[in-house]
Amino acid sequence: MNKHIKLAFSRIARAPYQAMAAILVMSMTMLLAGIFLAIGVISQILLVYFETRPQINAYFNQELSPQPQQIELIKASLLATGKVEDVKYVSKEQAFEEYKQQNASDSLLVGAVTSGILPASLSISVKDPKFMREIAEDVKKEVGIDEVRFEEEIVDTLSHWTDSVRFVGLILVGTHGLITLLVVLLVIGIKVSSRREEISTLRLLGASKRYITAPFVIEGVIYGVAGAFLAWLVILLGVLYTTSFWKFFLDGIMVLSVSNIMMFMVSVLLFELVAGVLIGSIGGLIATSRFIKS
Amino acid sequence: MENLVSAQGVVKKFGSNVVLDSITFEIKPGEFLFLTGPSGSGKTTLLRLLVRDLVLDAGELKVIGFDTGGLKENQMVNLRRQVGVVFQDFKLLNDRNIFENVALPLEIAGMKPEGIKKMVGEALDMVGLSTKPLAFPAQLSGGELQRVGLARAIISRPRLILADEPTGNLDPLTAKAIIKLLVDIHKNMQTTIVVATHNAEIVDTLQLRVLSLKEGKIIKDKKGKYE
Repeated sequence: MNKHIKLAFSRIARAPYQAMAAILVMSMTMLLAGIFLAIGVISQILLVYFETRPQINAYFNQELSPQPQQIELIKASLLATGKVEDVKYVSKEQAFEEYKQQNASDSLLVGAVTSGILPASLSISVKDPKFMREIAEDVKKEVGIDEVRFEEEIVDTLSHWTDSVRFVGLILVGTHGLITLLVVLLVIGIKVSSRREEISTLRLLGASKRYITAPFVIEGVIYGVAGAFLAWLVILLGVLYTTSFWKFFLDGIMVLSVSNIMMFMVSVLLFELVAGVLIGSIGGLIATSRFIKS
Repeated sequence: MENLVSAQGVVKKFGSNVVLDSITFEIKPGEFLFLTGPSGSGKTTLLRLLVRDLVLDAGELKVIGFDTGGLKENQMVNLRRQVGVVFQDFKLLNDRNIFENVALPLEIAGMKPEGIKKMVGEALDMVGLSTKPLAFPAQLSGGELQRVGLARAIISRPRLILADEPTGNLDPLTAKAIIKLLVDIHKNMQTTIVVATHNAEIVDTLQLRVLSLKEGKIIKDKKGKYE
């Protein structure tokens, strides 16, 4: 194996521009794959956030302060349907505190509202957005409930958008994977073809198919690893450069800590290394075996 | 003694062109045989069949016990590792030095570097190139390149050496030296050697066994005076 690795590196060194082109093409594709992976992860974070946050707010009559037994009864009846994930009671005081926090930067808005003005409410999360209307109708019938609001349209749109992102993602990843494989096939195919005479001689000297194939497969792996690292470095720089934007964008959805970023970048690196090694080795294998067969 | 090569009614066609037409012959272990005939008579095709670079269309061809008509990949590799081949155009790898070129069959067979170094040294000594192991093919003359080709062919102590027009690209003096080297190798190693050539002068001088081909048929099988 060691001699095959040496041979692969020496072939790369002997044709540096060809190798550079292969690595750059690989890294371009890996860069696109990495960017798409990032979009996929952010979409997933948004989706989980919107899917799990309370989707129905049921407001109690402003004049009334609901009794704990009444709240527990409503909670129990909603959870008993099996369609509700969670029910959270928000008292008048908690509602006022939340309002103050949300509008902390605007003293005029904070000053205009007093603690008694906001009603107590129930924040209800449903297991599936399709149950939203049904649960909203049920909760409207409960005693003391004055108003029910739910964001049916927003969740519907978001679900549709998320499905589209997943679908487009699959198509894009599949297409990019195929393009990369074809590029590697082409680059290694050219190298195999230029060594046609050498391969024929080696075969006549008793070289097995594996002996012939190994250095080309290793060469493909080297392109894959180098391309993955190069793309990863570019993505790392991009992430570091845009961290403040992402912190602002994901504010309230998730905390963008250093460990979160590190975990994401390690995942991207692993994904790209595995993809690079797979594409490089499969490309090398197909390119060589096609030639040996012919 | 069992024959090293046994051909029974071997036929090889390229499309509708019959290149070898039902040829039958045997080669015993330790024989030195010249394969002669005009261009297109089928000499190279026969050598390629012997090393299983081509597959026959009909008949039976056994080489070192391998039936070349139905070899699997690993059997083909085993056969080729027991056959040394010398080419008219040398077929050396230009990006490897002489040592590396000669070492190729051993490297392919998976021998350890220490063993390779010793055996390459001996092979280069035998062909008179022990002073140039680090030279590259581009730095050598035609005669020297063919010596490297010979060293590569004998390095793994093959049971059969096939030489396809080994003197075809060489001047008469160098050609004689290469043939003398082949004869010496034959004497020293007792290896079976088949040389395809149309150099009548060399064939007549040595008077070894001669198998003459014409239009794909054996027209003469002349035993050598030493046989």
